[in-house]
Order: sequence, then C-alpha cells, then structure tokens
Amino acid sequence: MALLELNNVTKRFGGLLAVSSVSFALDRGEILSMIGPNGAGKTTAFNCVTGLFPITSGSITLDGESISGLPPHRITKLGIARTFQNIRLFNFMTAVDNVMVGAHWWMKERVWDGALRTGRARREEHSVEQRALQLLDLLGLSRYAGSYAREMPYGLQRRLEIARALATQPRLLLLDEPAAGLNTQEKRELMQLIARLREEGLSILLIEHDMRLVMEVSHRIVVLDHGEKIAEGSPADVRTNPRVIEAYLGTGASNEMQSA
Amino acid sequence: MLERSRALFRVDAAASQRTQGNTVYWILASTASGLLLMGWLLPWFVNAYSAGVGFSPQDALISSPTGVGTFLIYILAVTMVILVLSTIVEPVARRMGRRFGPRVDRVRLIAALLGLALTAIIWFLVKVLAEEPLFGSLQPGTYTDSAVWLTMYGYAVAALVYGARRWVVARQTLAFGVAILPFGIFLPLMFHQAPDFLLWAAGSLAIYMLLALGLNVVVGFAGLLDLGYAAFFAIGAYACASFASPTHNIHLPLWVLIFLGAAIASMFGAVLGAPTLRLRGDYLAIVTLGFGEIIPDLATNNVFNLTGGPNGISGIDQPHYGFLDFSASPRWFYWALLLVSVAVIVLLRNIERARVGRAWVALREDEVAAASTGINTTTTKLLAFAIGASVSGLAGAFYGSIVSIVSPDDFSFSVSIAVLSIIVLGGIGNIAGVILGSFILTFVIFWVLPNMNEWSTTLSQTVHVPALAGIDFSSYTYIIYGAALILMMLLRPGGLLPSRARAIELESGGETESLAAVQGVA
Repeated sequence: MALLELNNVTKRFGGLLAVSSVSFALDRGEILSMIGPNGAGKTTAFNCVTGLFPITSGSITLDGESISGLPPHRITKLGIARTFQNIRLFNFMTAVDNVMVGAHWWMKERVWDGALRTGRARREEHSVEQRALQLLDLLGLSRYAGSYAREMPYGLQRRLEIARALATQPRLLLLDEPAAGLNTQEKRELMQLIARLREEGLSILLIEHDMRLVMEVSHRIVVLDHGEKIAEGSPADVRTNPRVIEAYLGTGASNEMQSA
Repeated sequence: MLERSRALFRVDAAASQRTQGNTVYWILASTASGLLLMGWLLPWFVNAYSAGVGFSPQDALISSPTGVGTFLIYILAVTMVILVLSTIVEPVARRMGRRFGPRVDRVRLIAALLGLALTAIIWFLVKVLAEEPLFGSLQPGTYTDSAVWLTMYGYAVAALVYGARRWVVARQTLAFGVAILPFGIFLPLMFHQAPDFLLWAAGSLAIYMLLALGLNVVVGFAGLLDLGYAAFFAIGAYACASFASPTHNIHLPLWVLIFLGAAIASMFGAVLGAPTLRLRGDYLAIVTLGFGEIIPDLATNNVFNLTGGPNGISGIDQPHYGFLDFSASPRWFYWALLLVSVAVIVLLRNIERARVGRAWVALREDEVAAASTGINTTTTKLLAFAIGASVSGLAGAFYGSIVSIVSPDDFSFSVSIAVLSIIVLGGIGNIAGVILGSFILTFVIFWVLPNMNEWSTTLSQTVHVPALAGIDFSSYTYIIYGAALILMMLLRPGGLLPSRARAIELESGGETESLAAVQGVA
C-alpha cells in the first residue's frame, strides 16, 4: 500500500486554480520528485499535504488514513515533515534550539515540569539536546550549534531546516527545492544526504528544479504544469515525454527535440 | 564525534554570552560604586551641615583635625576612589581597545576587602566602644548606621564582582541574585527609622515588576502585542477585593487570594486569547486594547452587583497571622512581595528555557514553520496568555491587599502603557532587562518626578534664574516620561539590556506572516 496518496486534490484560490485534480501515490522508501515550471502548483501541493492550505476538494491519505483537514501540527505528528522553498527557520534561536523544537511534539515535559525544573524535565531536555546535537553532527553543522540560525551561511541554513524536519521523526520528508542557491559542492553533499536518508528507510517527496539532481536521486517523477499532472513515470520516461518538454520549453520545442 | 561537537557548542555559547556577561558584570560593578557613593554622601544629603555624622573625610577633618581615626577614614576614601573611578574608567578603556587584566582586578579586590574591614572597624570603634575622640565629634547617629550599611554592602558587592569575575560572567543570573537579594532582604532593617515611604515605594516597584514580568511572557517571549494588560491586573485585584472584604462577607487569607487571583486572571487570559488566535501584530493589539477598556468599564457599571461601581470595593482585609500583622508595618508586605517576586522570576526563567519557552520563541519567530514542525500554535498561544495573565492577577491580589481599596480608575490604559514601557525600556524578552526597567521606572515615578520641583527651585537659586522656580513639573509628568522614552529608543532601541535576539534583529529586522494568513482563513 502506498504511504502517501493524493486523490483528485484540487486547490482553488478565488478564481485561480492552483492545483487541479492531481492524483499520485508515493510508496514506502521511495523518492518521488515533483517537477514543473514555475507556478505549476508544486509548492501549493506541498502546502496542501502538510495542512497549511485546506484543500478545496479531493482527499489526501497517509497510510490509508485521511489527513486532509487536519492542522499542520497534527500532520507532523503523523509523520510528515517538510522544509520550505524560502527558508523558514526560527531566525533568533540557536541552531540546536531550532532542531530541538522539532522534538517538541513527542516530549513529555509539561509546563510545571519546566517551571520547576524537575529531574524528569532536565533528563528529557538533556537527551533531546543530545539528539539535536547528533542530528547537527550528521548534517555537518556542529560548529554552528550555538549560533543563531540568522547568523549561519545560506547553504547551511538549508541543511539546518532538514535537521529540524528530521528531529520530528518523520516517515515522509517533503523537501521544497533543497538545492536552490547551493553551489556544486553543496549539491553533491545534498545528493549524498538524500541517498543516506533513503537507506535509513525514509520516504522523500522532492520538489526540485535542478534536473541533474532530480534524475539522479528519484525513483519516479511527477510533472505538474498549470496545476495539472501532465506526466508520471521513471526519470527516463519523463525525460523523453513530449508533453514535459513542451511544458518546459514551449510548443514546437518538443518536435525539434524529437527530430534532433 | 559527538564529544567534539559538544565541546565546540560550549565554546560558541560562551562566546555569545560574553557580550551580555560583560553587561551584567558592569551593572554589578556600578551598583557597588553607587552604593559606596550613597553611603558616603547619605549623611551629607540628609543633613548637609551636621558635621560629624558621616564618613566623609571633610567632616572628620573639620571636627577633629588631629584625630587618629581620621587616618582610617582617609584610607577608606582612597579605596572608594579606586573602586568608583575604575568602574567609570574600565568601559572607556575597553572602548579604546585596552583590556583590564586580572592584576587590576586583584588591586580592586584588595581595595574592596580593605574598605569592608575598615568600615567595620570604624563602626565598631564609634558605635560599640564609643571612641568618638578618635574621630573628633563623630556621633553615631541613625544616619551613620544607614551609611555604614550601604558602604559595607557596596564593598561586599565590589569584592564579589572583582574577586569572582569569571563566575559572575559565567553564571550571570545567580551572581546577580547573590549580589542583590541580600540587599532586598535586609532593606527594612538597614534603616532604623526605615522610612515607610521607602518600603511602600519598594512594594509598588514589586507590583510593577510582576506586571512587567507577566507582560514580558506575552509580548517578549511569544511576540503577541497586548495593550490591555491592565485588565488582568484589575481582575486579580477585584478577585482579592471580593474574597477578602465585608462586601460579600467572605474573608480568605492572602496566600489563598494570590493563587485565586492568579487562577482567575489566567482563565480570563485564555478567554481573551481564544478569539485572538488568528490575529497578529496590529490587529491583536487593537483587540487586546478593547479588552483592556471593557474590564474597567464593567467594574464602573457594577456588573452583576459584584464590583461596587465607580467607588470600587473598600475595606479589604489586612492580613493578620499571629505576630505577622500586615497592617502594623509595611515590612511584612515588603517581605511577602520580595518572596513572591523571587519565586516568579525563578519560575519564569525556568519556563523560558524549557519546552514551552522554546515553543513561544519559535511561534514568535515563524508561526508557519512552528506549526509545520509540530507545535500546536493554539495551545502554545493560549498558554502564553494564561501564564502572562496569571502573574498579573497575582500582582493584582497583592495590590488589593496593600491599598485595601480597589476602584476602576486604578486600571486605566495608562497602567498598560506604563508596564509596556517598562519592558520596552528594559529590553523586550530579557527577564533581567525587564527587572532593571521596572527599577528605573519606579525610581523615576517615585523619586525623580516628585522631587523635580524642589530641584528646579534650588537650581534657580544657584544660577539666579527665577523662572526655573516657577515651573510646576507635576503637570509635565507625561511629557518628561515621553521624552525619556523617545530618547531611550533613539539611543538604545533594544532597551537597556537587550536580549541577544533583539540585539541582532535590530541590525536586520524582519516580520513574518501569521499561520492564519497563509491558510487564507483570516
């Protein structure tokens, strides 16, 4: 059974149809990429999955259970974590605190535990901090553990977002253009990281414009254009799909490409 | 691998604390100097022409030019000059790129300890052995005792700061508490004829401080601008008035009342919070402003015959437990408030560093990201409102007990504004800053403003400008107040003790939208 399933999901903003009846499924342990030109509705689809946007119609299920209509924090608890296209870190919190926030939903510490600094609260804080530091270490961010997110270099902020998402212990990770603004070296590291996360059994839904990265890491690709799904398949299939080429390069281009 | 990251993390954290640690260190150092100066000048202040009731070398010299004890007083003067001057010189020197090494600290430590010992010796000689001839006609009057207390305390703080500088910088909060708390505890005993005025002023300070600490939770930590905070203060005060007065013939003890006031206020906090969950920034401010106006209005209109209308409720019980008679002396209220304030500060400080505190900051920084990271924005916001309001309700219960009459006028918009200016002045989101802010504001309200007229009269006589004597400063209170705030914001926009976040934010600010706005609900 598929882990995440979108069934005829539609999102309408007033007169604008941002996502129109999109359906696809993501299997366990799979890396599925969503590509498409700017404004195709990829990020909107992400926001629908994570509960930031209530969907207009259709249904979204995680492990067979409907998650449409749930608030974002409930969806996170069910095992979907995400990063944002335009980095959204807690700027004036330290890197380690940023990651610790990801652990909040499963921490047992209550308000009075924290206020009285009970042994239980201190032990839990300590173990969560250790885990956060481990995650930072995994992503090569240990050096910045005590700095504010705002003070970190851009590329590392992207990684910190991934660390924070991982701290929520997700089954499914949604990455929204994780390679945007990264240099070649950083992109290579990102690819390694994605490969490693997959090995650990994480399913990943990826939005990305960097085709080399997409083609290399994805098992399957879904192509959106103007809010509609125009293609779905293996990287090789999608690469030669005329509708995809048309969406990216315009009418006529696909003919030229095929004749070339 | 992990060990290494731990070590690095510690280094980074220490580096980031350095700036703030220095501020706390400097505040303590100047507090010590201030106390020394006060001790030195107090007798002179209180009675400028009574030779021989102080420690000042001039007095000793005038009263007994040949007195042997005068020698001790001169050494004392030297230690004072060293400590006071170096407090002023150090920041200047640092700005010029010079560092004060440990050797200077050692000199200052010796000066502080020497001063402490000498003060004790002189006091012992004069007061206990009555060896006045040593000091000429130095008389052990009341003011001398107060001066001795202040001087000795100043030396003790100086010894702590210079002797354990590293510790002060590393454990700022604890060091601050260790340095300041004994002063608070001993204050009623320090001055024999402890002016009741001083204790009342300290009581008002504590109440303002509690209000500011509570508002800081809402505005500083969670980033929710609340302009109607006085409403919760009113609720706490009216709760106290209703449950401890002949009005409804219920008489509960004070320690029950403060919890009751806190509980009722926090309930109202959550009730107010619920409809404002989707609002942020300006819109939230307007709604809270409305709430702040409604509550005193309800009280004025004697809603459900509970509030006594415009006259309020009077005759609130004065607590009386055996020898603890709160109506006899303000010092019992003083100590009770001190205890409660310290407890509140410790609890809030813990909460700030715990899970909830982190969630509040996350919410303040980016509501959308917080929600997507698994934080329940609804309960987190309501908790901020409830906890902030509960501190205010607690302060309100105390206020009711102290003044023994509450009326709607006590909880006007200007109270909300005064409390908000305390936290803005002190440093939004920084507990130490908020405490400092409340000290300064109370000082201005209770000492500077009432004395302005007198000072300007004296000044007019000194500089021969009669016009100065005619100014009635009491009618310019808010102008002075406003000008001070404007000046403050221009010179130090982050407040006196800005939180680390504010300090960086001011270099490059940014506001984020609300979750509701993103979801398209609002």
